[in-house]
Amino acid sequence: MRPFKLPPQILRLVLLTLIIVGSYLMARAFLTPQSFGEYGWYRGDAPEEIAARTPIFAGEQACDKCHSDIVRKLAADAHQTLSCEACHGVSREHADNPNIPPDKATSHYCLRCHEANPSRPAWFKQIVVKDHYSGECIECHLPHQPTQQPTSTP
Amino acid sequence: MPPAASTHSTTHLNPMKTQFSRRGALLRLGGAIAGLLAISTARKVKAAVQTFFVSSGAPKDYDPTEHKWLMCLDANKCIGCGLCAEACKKENGVPEGPYFRTWIERYIITKPKPGSVETRGETLVDSPDGGIHGFTGCPVPEDQIEQSFFVPKLCNLCERAPCIQACPVGATFTAPDGAVLVDPKYCLGCGFCIQACPYGARFLSPVTHTAEKCTLCYHRITRGLKPACVEICPAQARIFGDLKNLKPDDPLQKFYESNRMQVLKPYLGTEPRVLYAGLDEEVR
Repeated sequence: MRPFKLPPQILRLVLLTLIIVGSYLMARAFLTPQSFGEYGWYRGDAPEEIAARTPIFAGEQACDKCHSDIVRKLAADAHQTLSCEACHGVSREHADNPNIPPDKATSHYCLRCHEANPSRPAWFKQIVVKDHYSGECIECHLPHQPTQQPTSTP
Repeated sequence: MPPAASTHSTTHLNPMKTQFSRRGALLRLGGAIAGLLAISTARKVKAAVQTFFVSSGAPKDYDPTEHKWLMCLDANKCIGCGLCAEACKKENGVPEGPYFRTWIERYIITKPKPGSVETRGETLVDSPDGGIHGFTGCPVPEDQIEQSFFVPKLCNLCERAPCIQACPVGATFTAPDGAVLVDPKYCLGCGFCIQACPYGARFLSPVTHTAEKCTLCYHRITRGLKPACVEICPAQARIFGDLKNLKPDDPLQKFYESNRMQVLKPYLGTEPRVLYAGLDEEVR
């Protein structure tokens, strides 16, 4: 019986395969991010990176810190579901530095919701502007207490 | 043994034999394994150094496994002001143009033709500019409308998300807290997920050339704030909460206990975690 000898072409193939597999493993070890697979088949650091963005809207808690009287007034009346920044605009800068004034709320914001539209739900108070009044809304309505009227109309 | 190989009887002349001894091969193999182990240790050290010295600005005390977010939408309450869609654009820096992470659709169902046995006529759906400027006027004369309403739309946070199955690189995923997110560093911009989403909630950003979608304002909810659309909605049509940290009188719990909840396209089996109350059968 002759001793077994590995044919050289087989040896070359085996070595080539090992080199390919080895370089793949090396590349994978270098290129796969450390956190890949931490929670699932994705980069575990990605949610944290997405969360690193700075919020733009300050949120009602921020308004409540200084303007709690108005926030309370608002919560007691029909506009209780309204958030401050819905009418006063993005107020992050103002919340961080009170010297920067927030946007001025205009009657444009009133009409954005209250102008009559057949698609709006029936329970919602709507007006046909041209039949209602041609002046400013705040002449007759208090935005923070919509069921009350201003005490001194100009 | 094949006859061709047996002709090489003088193996000591074979250069292959002299180049690769067993000892040498084993040494090389051991070296390679040691090298791989050293790399992984070096990477761990690098990561530890990075987390120690580099502050990412992300909230540190947020554990995604401790939360499970849920969004409910009340179609009866939406007044179509479009503040949510506008706020979303501002909050997330969504590019100008027809790109929306949340938007409002207006459904107009016309009256049936006279003499027909149908209960309703045609259904028209529009969303001018995604509703970011609100809705003014009506494309159909008022006397021809049988029914009309607004439906806010966003990513449906599918439990079995088709977009995640379609992504070839693992760039989109469901975070342990239920938010379906896109990793912008991994996204190739191939657009498969955009085609796969049955709700049209994704778009290819013309700025980053990656897929973008609603993140549930991940940068806000991880800081204890509400998503911008929920924060801004003047009609409380959007109710948002954390199923793992429900308060005793949580508005979310109250809402889904007192309403019959529906999902969009239930026949697809995507199991959305965005629930609707008061949906019409025409809404898809």
